[in-house]
Amino acid sequence: MDFCYGSKAALQGIHLDVEYHRVTALIGPSGCGKSTLLRCINRMNDRVAGARVSKGEILVKGKNIHDADVDLTQLRKQVGMVFQKSNPFPKTIYENVAYGLRVHGVKDKTAIDEAVERSLTQAALWDELKDRLHAHALGLSGGQQQRLCIARAIATMPDVLLMDEPCSALDPIATLKIEELITQLARDYTVVIVTHNMQQAVRVSDFTAFLHLGKLVEFAPTEELFTNPREKLTDSYLRGTFS
Amino acid sequence: MSPVSQQPASRPLGPLLLRKKGFSLFGITRASLVRRFFSAMASVAIIVLVLIMVFLLRDGAGFLSTYRASLDVYRKSGMELCDLLEQPVREMQDKSTSLLRRALAHELATLTGEAKQRRDAVVVLIGKVQAMSAPERAALEVVLTASAPPETLADPRDQLRQATSRAAMSIPIPSVLSSREVEQFRRELATLTPENTELLPMLTALEAEFARQDTAARAQFAPLSAAVAACEQAPAALYETLVPLHKHARNTKELAQKRLSSRDQPEVHFPDQLKPILDARETLLTRLDDYGSRLKQAQAALPAETRSEEAAELLAQVRELLPEQAVQTAGIREKVLEWDGMHTVSMFHAALGFCFGPHWITNSPWQDFYGVVPLLTGSVLISVIALLIATPLSIAAAVYTSQFASDREKEYIKPVIEFIQAIPSIVLGFIGIALLGDLIKSVSHWPLLAWLPGFPIEERLNMFNAGCLLALMAVPTMFSLAEDALNSVPQSYAAASEALGATKLQTVFRVIVPAALSGILAGILLGLGRVIGETMVVLLVAGNRIAIPDFGDGLGVVFQPAHTLTGIIAQELGEVSRGSGHWQALFMVGILLFIISLVVNWCARAFARRLETPKS
Repeated sequence: MDFCYGSKAALQGIHLDVEYHRVTALIGPSGCGKSTLLRCINRMNDRVAGARVSKGEILVKGKNIHDADVDLTQLRKQVGMVFQKSNPFPKTIYENVAYGLRVHGVKDKTAIDEAVERSLTQAALWDELKDRLHAHALGLSGGQQQRLCIARAIATMPDVLLMDEPCSALDPIATLKIEELITQLARDYTVVIVTHNMQQAVRVSDFTAFLHLGKLVEFAPTEELFTNPREKLTDSYLRGTFS
Repeated sequence: MSPVSQQPASRPLGPLLLRKKGFSLFGITRASLVRRFFSAMASVAIIVLVLIMVFLLRDGAGFLSTYRASLDVYRKSGMELCDLLEQPVREMQDKSTSLLRRALAHELATLTGEAKQRRDAVVVLIGKVQAMSAPERAALEVVLTASAPPETLADPRDQLRQATSRAAMSIPIPSVLSSREVEQFRRELATLTPENTELLPMLTALEAEFARQDTAARAQFAPLSAAVAACEQAPAALYETLVPLHKHARNTKELAQKRLSSRDQPEVHFPDQLKPILDARETLLTRLDDYGSRLKQAQAALPAETRSEEAAELLAQVRELLPEQAVQTAGIREKVLEWDGMHTVSMFHAALGFCFGPHWITNSPWQDFYGVVPLLTGSVLISVIALLIATPLSIAAAVYTSQFASDREKEYIKPVIEFIQAIPSIVLGFIGIALLGDLIKSVSHWPLLAWLPGFPIEERLNMFNAGCLLALMAVPTMFSLAEDALNSVPQSYAAASEALGATKLQTVFRVIVPAALSGILAGILLGLGRVIGETMVVLLVAGNRIAIPDFGDGLGVVFQPAHTLTGIIAQELGEVSRGSGHWQALFMVGILLFIISLVVNWCARAFARRLETPKS
């Protein structure tokens, strides 16, 4: 698959099979196209003028996401996303989680209540927040906000959950919580995570893909990639001898 | 060669960098001088604001005591007692007599309607025929004024005769005249030349017929016309008794004013002055009771049956109104009895009179009242109209510009809307008078729109007109602030919303607009501040009628003229003598405006602050 921003090629010849209900980590130096690749999967790049997939295809559950009959709304319901910086809406906690359901036209109050409880439980927030669901979301701590964003993303029961450096703005303890959460989430969701942190990739992921300058250098089970990289480039990146 | 290399290599750099001795003035260094200059500039703004407040307060503060003194004289001279009695009676009279007169007119029309129609039709036709032969008339006129020899007159005279008979033959005649009458009338019309100084016999006959029928009708409706006359005459005795009292009270007031302006004048002894009026109180009360019983008689005399439905309806209203008025009369009686002329007017009373007084009457030969309510309602109503128009307009424009418009469109929309701000308000006033007023008036006369409240309207200059123009003035402020607020909503919200599968519309209306809401509200309030403070447009366009609008029209009230807080200052301040009660009252209005603006701005800032820290 090739991808370009206008005339500037950002990704070239990427071929990647993401395993069902596993955590796949994307690593690589800054500007290598990790986030771009991630954003291709739910077509977030459509927001950028001139950005397009120039060659190849992306299949989610066997369906090309650029087919004419694919509804972008449905695709994004299928492929949820968590951003680098936590970005809850300036609404209540409840409304944040319910938002995805509401925009998909769910009006049934009990269904929404259930979904909110399930998502918050899965995001390990229910016990902390169940008594103040109607408090303002921006009053939460950074780690809670990010977990709220995860709850919001999984409220619509996506198949795939994309995470773009979800811990980069968090302190170590909050990071730890999120990492635990990611491992748990892999039971129900297929997770693709972009990270700068090698240890994090080792800790949370089952598979790791190493990208460099818009090309996929190596893709292997995490343990294999970190202990016994096939490519010289991967090896030197992991050793930190280039950046 | 660069200057650096000229320096001896051994010269140390340290002392150069640590230059201790700089420029100084009276021991103040350059840095602190600059700092003081900027802080002085900031203080100037604050000092000017304080000066404005001091100035406003200085001239306004004296108002309460002046107004109190004026009201005190008003009371002690007995004017208050006269008004207490007369004002409500006059109001009641206006209401009931106008109803009764309309009822009588409807009744008479049932009998004399046709005769009146025939007469009116003939009058109109005569005018038309004369208009149709106007060119010939003008030609004859020219010859006559030239004092030409009589034989030259024959020709134009003949032409005029011909033109008149042509017109008389061709003019369509309405069916109220019978065919025989039409023929006769055409013959008479043909004689309508300047030589014929007599009224047309037809017109005379119809006139006489109408007069005869009218007299007959009045005779037939004698009970009703008697009732009308009785109602009209009911308070006559009361008014008569009041005339000398008015004169006396005004005289007392003049004495008091003379005493106020110079110490040489003898002091006024109010109890003595008031004595004649107090003595007359009993007479007044008997007259009032008399008035009440006359009203009752009038009601008893009202005919039970009417010929026209309109009259029946009007009479029913009168029947409801008269007992109410009897109750009111009892109320007046009590008030007059309770009235105590020696009770000094308090400051509080004067303040209440300013804040809640329903009359703004100045330069009156009787008594000036400075009640701010008519002006305040005008200002508030106009502002509400302006806000109701401007808010949806500017917010929709802001949402479109910030969320949907392409960069090219933005390039056009923003400068154009912001340009509206550059239009001088006086120019907008022209538009209101010359264009919008006529437009609103002519649109309101469309039969299609007759169902709208207040339509058709008669006044070109009214609150709605002013509100529309003020809305135009508020749009740039509200648009700019709302657009800024929408633009400052973090991109990440939109990204998160779209990643959840929301469409662009959902994202805009469920996330971005709510997130920008406090900024938008702040914009609306600042727009309101601008609207309330605006003077020129309202002065030119609002109609400047100093009265509380009649809310009986429902929403149609917006088509009435009104005066405003700002307009009254602009209009009257130039004409009053400095330091007089009127002058001080205008300053009080200024203070009131100042307070309103402060509150509005403070609210706007409070909303804006909420935007900066959205934590709850």
